Amino acid sequence: MISRRIFAALVSGVALVPGLALAQDAPAPFDNPGDVNIALVRYLSTGDFFQAYLSGVEKQAAALGVNLQVFDSRQDAALQADMVDQAIALGVDGIIIQHGLTESMKEAAQRAVDAGIKVVAFDVNVENAAIPQVEQSDAALAQLALDQAIADNGAEWVAGFVHVAGIAPLDRRAAVWEEVKAANPGINEVAMFGTLDNPIANSVANQARSVLSANPNIQVMFAPYDEFAKGVKIAVDEAGMSGQVSIYSADISTADIQLMREEGSAWKATAATNPAVVGEVSVRSLALLLAGENPGASVIVPPTLITQAMLNELDIKNMEELGAKLPAFAHADVAMAPWMTLPPR
Amino acid sequence: MKSLSLTELAIRYGFLLLMAGLIVVFSVLRPAFLSPQSGVFILQSVAITGILALGVTATLVVDGFDLSIGAVATSAMMLSAYVMVIWEMGAVPAVLLCLGMGALVGLVNGLLIVKMRVPDLLATLGMMFLLVGLQRIPTQGNSISTGMMLPGGQAAEGSFAPEFLMLGRHRIDFILPDLVPLSVVVLIVIALLTWAFLELTRHGRVMYAIGSNAQAAGLAGINVAGYRILAYVISGVMASIGGILLAARLGRGDVASGNNLLLDSVAAALIGFAVLGAAKPNAFGTAIGALFVGILLQGLTMLNAPYYTQDFIKGAVLVVALVFTFALSGRVGRARR
Repeated sequence: MISRRIFAALVSGVALVPGLALAQDAPAPFDNPGDVNIALVRYLSTGDFFQAYLSGVEKQAAALGVNLQVFDSRQDAALQADMVDQAIALGVDGIIIQHGLTESMKEAAQRAVDAGIKVVAFDVNVENAAIPQVEQSDAALAQLALDQAIADNGAEWVAGFVHVAGIAPLDRRAAVWEEVKAANPGINEVAMFGTLDNPIANSVANQARSVLSANPNIQVMFAPYDEFAKGVKIAVDEAGMSGQVSIYSADISTADIQLMREEGSAWKATAATNPAVVGEVSVRSLALLLAGENPGASVIVPPTLITQAMLNELDIKNMEELGAKLPAFAHADVAMAPWMTLPPR
Repeated sequence: MKSLSLTELAIRYGFLLLMAGLIVVFSVLRPAFLSPQSGVFILQSVAITGILALGVTATLVVDGFDLSIGAVATSAMMLSAYVMVIWEMGAVPAVLLCLGMGALVGLVNGLLIVKMRVPDLLATLGMMFLLVGLQRIPTQGNSISTGMMLPGGQAAEGSFAPEFLMLGRHRIDFILPDLVPLSVVVLIVIALLTWAFLELTRHGRVMYAIGSNAQAAGLAGINVAGYRILAYVISGVMASIGGILLAARLGRGDVASGNNLLLDSVAAALIGFAVLGAAKPNAFGTAIGALFVGILLQGLTMLNAPYYTQDFIKGAVLVVALVFTFALSGRVGRARR
């Protein structure tokens, strides 16, 4: 408890400096944010995306001056439901449910709502009208990347597609690919492959090498997940085909930026939502609910298109510079209210 | 006698015939399968699991088992990235530190098993979890790449040394220019060394003796404990070599559990039991086993087979290989084609 109080003191100390005047205007309970406790209940936590998401949640919580407690179920669906009950028992004011399974989370989320706790869900549908859904739009991600592919290559090319069916965000991205293919009969998909074997980039590289030697006429690889794109790029480089193949993907990380900027890189563009921004939006949506405002049933964080040319022109080397130099990537203007303090940039 | 010799023939050469048959089938369906590039690529795709599998073989020979190799490999990948990107050191210290880490983990495994009498599966399982966690502590769970943000708020200045990346990417002229990747050369050298060590030296024969009857070997005056520890050190070092090659190919330190590496390499080593009817762990068989899996996956991917059919077929091959092995040692004596 002491540590939490110290944390709260530190946080409000930081928040006081820029936000003193604003904080007084904030509606209850944010007129006294040190008394607001929120919980983040996670299903997925390993990997860069989830680390960045967490940092966004932490920063926005700190900026608002509320206390944050993180529960991490490490892909244990039953444990995640128990953790929601734990958070209810602790008497938190709000809960963010991050990923999980509809079946296991639906009832736990309802129990939290019944206990008078405000809940938002990120990337998991808990089938509850009282719970806003924060989403990154997978369809918009895929559409942005494919629009760029068509802008770069015209509407007639031989394509390879990397996909693993049964993973919800990948399925939503694949649905857009099917639509784009149907709308552009000049796109000829000759190979579809993909695997989630760990390390994914290495396994996909092995597959992509086989695909490229079987189909040396491939011009465009659509790899709508950055681990896939990394694997394809390794294979394209190994096959010495980087002059001929263009890779379009979704998501981004510092490592991806480096790969896209390599001399003669085949990785031409990616569409991405900043996971840290998604984390911030999750907290802000919850804050709106707590203040009695309505963020809407679904809060969509819009993606940004990032091309190789952009990265080179702006000389962007990592995620932080990307945020600094591409403002659209650093902040999403959703779930906002005038009284809210944003994290410092 | 005649039918027996036929069965024996099937057990001895059945697996190699199966492999030849597969190559023919894939070449007919996809002519690109038979190109030299494709052949070299199969070797490259199995280089990392092959090296790990040779390490597994060393522990299998002394009747042990090492579940930690996948985690050792990914830890070596993270360590090499950490040394170069964050400590800004060169390729040589990165490689040496990784090899040292592999040897140390092997030594600890061996001591746990031999001195503390922890059963091998449990000791190496514990080590696996320990390493999967440990490799993420320095970076708080993030992957390591050039230009990454450090906790202090600055970008990391270091980068992967070009000599290090060569290990995973450089190609040697052989018949065609730029044909054979260094990782394949490493695989072949390690396979030959392991084979020579196990089959041609006294140490190798002693290790087989320990594997078949440790007590008898001990009574014959062999340092059983020492050789068993040695087997785990070999396994750890091989796994770290695999991790180095992985890091060199990916060009970053990737947060990964390495479980697939573990499973694939164990499968290769077990398939190796069946090659030439050896019915015991052996380096040649392991190399062929890894190659067999590589050929299958390459061919199936060329035919656009989805990943789950590939897992299915990998499993089927393993089962058939085990039938080969145990049909030989059992009384039934009926090998399936």
